[in-house]
Amino acid sequence: MIKNIFLVVILQIALLHTNAQDKGFKPVDDITGLKNKLNELTANSQTIQSDFVQEKHLSFLSENIISKGKFAFKNPNLLRWEYAEPINYIIVFNNKNILISDDGKISSFDTQSNKMFSEINNMMVGTIQGSLFNDSERFSVKYYESDKQYLLDLEPKMAEMKSMLKTIKIFIDKTDNSVASIKMIESSDDYTKIDFINRKLNQPIIDDNFRLK
Amino acid sequence: MLSSNPKIWNTLNRFFSKIYLLYLILFFSACTTTYKNLPKTEYPEKDIRVIPFSLPQSEKTIIYKADITFYKNNFGGLLVIKKIEDKNYRIVLTTQFGLKIFDFELNHSKLNVVFCIDQLNKKMIIKTFEEDFNLLLLQQNFDYLFVINNTELKQKIWQLNSGKINTFYIQNNESASIDIISKRKRNSEKISVGLRSYKNDLPGEIKLEHHNIKLKINLKLLQ
Repeated sequence: MIKNIFLVVILQIALLHTNAQDKGFKPVDDITGLKNKLNELTANSQTIQSDFVQEKHLSFLSENIISKGKFAFKNPNLLRWEYAEPINYIIVFNNKNILISDDGKISSFDTQSNKMFSEINNMMVGTIQGSLFNDSERFSVKYYESDKQYLLDLEPKMAEMKSMLKTIKIFIDKTDNSVASIKMIESSDDYTKIDFINRKLNQPIIDDNFRLK
Repeated sequence: MLSSNPKIWNTLNRFFSKIYLLYLILFFSACTTTYKNLPKTEYPEKDIRVIPFSLPQSEKTIIYKADITFYKNNFGGLLVIKKIEDKNYRIVLTTQFGLKIFDFELNHSKLNVVFCIDQLNKKMIIKTFEEDFNLLLLQQNFDYLFVINNTELKQKIWQLNSGKINTFYIQNNESASIDIISKRKRNSEKISVGLRSYKNDLPGEIKLEHHNIKLKINLKLLQ
């Protein structure tokens, strides 16, 4: 009897789990193979440039809040994230420095002295490169795939991050193995989704892009 | 040129906001002494809709760019205000990246925390936000509602009174909208708000400042 109850409970958990999984995605069989592929990709992406569309979903709103902009990344630690809509806001991670231009007002921070910024920096670079899955200290990772994409499902382990995010989903296109979109889901199920469009890999970028004047 | 030199820009910015504040204080202290001698009319219905301030009445999703300075901390992002139903609002602040800083429900002037980052989730801070949003969304409880006509300064003033607390919503006749909000306990000013550049009946710029704690909230209308 007890065994049967256990079985039912386990089946239900399994069912719930498949329901939670994104449509059209199934678990990846060869995880080691995929990891190798992604590591190779990370090592090979010297620069990434892309436009992005960010959607913020709040359960009480009928429409999502849309922000747009572009970003540029240069290996290993230069990142420029620029919003053009609805406001002008640029954040640049330049090795240990963070520069922010907010409506033309520029401020700078030191990642060493600001733990939160250094976390954001690691996360941004990690998601864009897709390398966040290697951070087993901070995330437990599940791997899924569909015909066209891989999906890395990252669940934060650290309490501080857990209180903000339930999971980060990274969608990677199989055609060019680049990150197509990311979805950060909060415990309330409100989420932020960022789609990367017009992606360009390994095109030259001058370092001036990672300075703000 | 100015924007290329952040130091000068910041200094100038601080200088002008101080001047603006000084103007508000001088202007207001000049007014309040005059109020006492001006005739007051009481609205027995206590209906706040007589006040020409449509921010609390708007049914659409309102988004402000927010810049909050609390002592030495500075944070901000997008402030979303949505009227869910009468006397019930959702107020959410997210960073540019979309991560939530807080998610509040203001229901019958009581602020409930749906989510708040740990650093801000302190009783005193939540109480302060409650007071501020009640002021901005005209939700605070009051016993009497008066209207005062200040013909000399060409102003119309709505006064909400509850014991020692008086809140004034001030309209300059030329602007036909609320330009100043001031909350006073006995005779000292607790919070002052400047509202400018109205667009479609909504204030384009809001500068809220506390006088007993170091808290400033600057809002710029985006949508």
